Amino acid sequence: MRFARALLPLALLVACSSEPRPRPPGVLFVSVEQQSAWVRNFNPLFAGAGARWPTRAGVYECMEIFSSAQGRWVPWLATGHAWSEDQLTLRFHLRDGVRWSDGKPFTADDVVFTFHLLKQHAALDAGGVWRFLTDVKAETQGTVAFTFSRVYLPGFSDLAHQIIVPQHVWKDIADPVTFTNPEPVATGPFTQVTLFRNQVYELGRNPHYWQPGKPAVSALRFLAFPTNDQANMALVEGEVDWAGNFVPAVDRTFVSRDPAHHARWFPLYGSTVFLYPNTTRPPLDDVRVRKALSMALDRDRLVEVAMYGYTRPADATALNDAYTGWKDADVAKDAWTRYDLDAANKLLDEAGLTRGADGLRRLKDGQPFTMDLEVVSGWSDWVRAGQVVGRDLRKLGIGVTLKTYEFGTWFTRLQKGEFQLAISWSLDGPTPYNFYKWLLSPRTVRPVGEVAAANWHRMGDAQADELLMRFERAGTPEEQHALMSQVQRRFSAVAPAIPLFPNPSWGESNSSRFTGFPTEQNPYARLAPHAEPDSLLVLTELSPRER
Amino acid sequence: MGRYILRRLGFYLIAAWASLTLNFVIPRLAPGDPAAAMFARFEGKVAPEAMGALKAAFGFTDAPLYAQYLTYLKHLVQGDLGMSYAYFPARVSEVIGTGLMWTVGLAGVAVIISFVAGSFLGVLAAWNRGGWLDSGLAPALAFLGAFPYFWLAMLALYLFGFVLGWFPLRHAYGHDMEPGLSFAFAADVARHAVLPASSIVVATLGGWMLGMRNTMVATLGTDSIRLAHARGLPPRQVMLRYAARNALLPNVTSFGMAVGFVLSGSLLTEIVFSYPGTGYLLILAVRNQDYPLMQGLFLVITLAVLAANFAVDLLCLWLDPRTRAHA
Repeated sequence: MRFARALLPLALLVACSSEPRPRPPGVLFVSVEQQSAWVRNFNPLFAGAGARWPTRAGVYECMEIFSSAQGRWVPWLATGHAWSEDQLTLRFHLRDGVRWSDGKPFTADDVVFTFHLLKQHAALDAGGVWRFLTDVKAETQGTVAFTFSRVYLPGFSDLAHQIIVPQHVWKDIADPVTFTNPEPVATGPFTQVTLFRNQVYELGRNPHYWQPGKPAVSALRFLAFPTNDQANMALVEGEVDWAGNFVPAVDRTFVSRDPAHHARWFPLYGSTVFLYPNTTRPPLDDVRVRKALSMALDRDRLVEVAMYGYTRPADATALNDAYTGWKDADVAKDAWTRYDLDAANKLLDEAGLTRGADGLRRLKDGQPFTMDLEVVSGWSDWVRAGQVVGRDLRKLGIGVTLKTYEFGTWFTRLQKGEFQLAISWSLDGPTPYNFYKWLLSPRTVRPVGEVAAANWHRMGDAQADELLMRFERAGTPEEQHALMSQVQRRFSAVAPAIPLFPNPSWGESNSSRFTGFPTEQNPYARLAPHAEPDSLLVLTELSPRER
Repeated sequence: MGRYILRRLGFYLIAAWASLTLNFVIPRLAPGDPAAAMFARFEGKVAPEAMGALKAAFGFTDAPLYAQYLTYLKHLVQGDLGMSYAYFPARVSEVIGTGLMWTVGLAGVAVIISFVAGSFLGVLAAWNRGGWLDSGLAPALAFLGAFPYFWLAMLALYLFGFVLGWFPLRHAYGHDMEPGLSFAFAADVARHAVLPASSIVVATLGGWMLGMRNTMVATLGTDSIRLAHARGLPPRQVMLRYAARNALLPNVTSFGMAVGFVLSGSLLTEIVFSYPGTGYLLILAVRNQDYPLMQGLFLVITLAVLAANFAVDLLCLWLDPRTRAHA
């Protein structure tokens, strides 16, 4: 008992000193990555590896930024670009007066050096730009010329979005792939690592930033939250100003606590989620069967159950809202992505898959039509989607077993084409070119057993590919839109994969300390901080209320 | 006695080698391809052409297993644990360094408090059999210990952190604190450790108390204790020096195990309280098929378990004269 009495005052002392800590004015608290402890890494070139946010769009910068919310390119380190007459040379005109954070000037040599690094170290060439480039050279201090091996207009976006590093720092780095770049020298708004500990790091302003008076935010601070729950709690409590988390029942749990300042914006700019049929396995090679599967899905229910109604059912173009300007309204109305069980049953009957006595449909060889549907264990939205899909398909007389795998196993099976049905994402780009190329082009088809970056369903359509190749050379917007409409028509006719819903791009903001967050009314960029390189637009726009 | 200690040391060396070898073999028997998992996280941001170069950068080799094994041993001797895949290109030692100290500190202190307090309560409970400690506290603690830990921790966090605001909601120290050897920092760390540490103590105290109480009850029934009473020794001396010392042995052995497993991380504690530590790293390593990080963590855990057991061996030698006689 003496022991307990001795402890009591100590406990009280400790307890009483706990008040919410005042947060330094002008310091923006952001929650993007979820980690239990931070590891110091600011290597911008190695895409997707463990570099701290916002290394790739905040510390470092690219030449031009595509804002999918505005649907246009925003000049950044380059003030503009021009194609040569034969469309085999692309010239970027660099901005005057840009300096690296150590005060040295940014020049065309830095751009050339960066692209040569990608050539020497293929692991850094995430976009594969050296597949279509033959040369990069600095024509003047402010002009860089890229020479293409063939006419390939979509290549522009890969070049414009490439992060540029300083030659005077990186030329001495022995291995740029494994370099952790602890003290970044960069052109972005936030370059100074003022604090780095296992639970918190802080990035201060670039003293030489090229946009006068920006950034108005004095520093970015990042607290380590190991899971969504902790990050959400901090967001709700107002300890985090900007986040990109999935928040369940966000309007009730977050927005309603302070409707004047708490805001969320979940535009459907994320990649479309598909149900991928492995088209190398009969009867999934039959377009009637794929369309029947699609028509059996009650997508309204699906988005309600799997996504809490944060999204809408996909239409027959499968395009997300970032591509609204490209969408062909007629194609979007096609019936095969609308719920119609009778039509679906009829299509399967036509395809010769008749029902057996037990209600299950039979394949041509008399075997019951059963499939495994593969999803990632723990990705609860997809698991729920898989359950709805499975139930809907069983109504059609198809036996579906939901199988969950650890991510690595699931992805290996998907990439190698060793699955029957799987739910997965799709690829994006500034135009729908990449999206449809990886869904439809025979050039992206790999044999079963070989790893494929996408086109896991392994379907190629020669007609669509011809259109896509014409798109690569199409210079005018009219021409591009006309071709893209035809591609959509082809996609809808072939139905290579079954679109489910576009993913929301999650973003939450608390404007009690900072103003200028993108909103539905002011959609100058995506609110989601993950959205690169949009985050550069936001980071330079925000300003503190208190000074 | 010197020979006994040497023999034990030899045994632990062999055990260490065996576990290091298992450490090498087991991840390689697991299904899945780490390169593919790595690639996966880029969600198509990396061109397939870059994959080959990527594999080389990560050091994936197709070398025969025995060659990989020899390189593994060589690197271990040099203290080089390799590069983590999940945190590429950070070194494994750096990644483990972010959490190791905090895990040892928090879970270590909690386990020691729990062991000392639990054993002491067990002694008291057995000494006053049927008293309120025995019939009230012991079942109550066992009841608490039976709750899922996750739920208990969340409840503590919600009640004392969120609703009452007595304690911070997360982390090992405030983000505006300068870590260092100052009183303010130490107080801040202590304040942050109260909730996570007490959640561990509450969840495990009952086990120690019951274990101690039961052996103590058995010990109290032996002739030696009756003799001690008959000789008129003061009851406190009988309780602590005669009964408790004998009854403590089994508890000390399990304490050795418990200390060793501290490092495998109080994963749930770390997740609920956002506390930095190795438990979370371990789960992350498994999820990402990060073999180097997994191996690094297992190595640390293995060495800790072995060291703790060796320390317990020595402790038993001191506590129990019979082991000394055999040695």
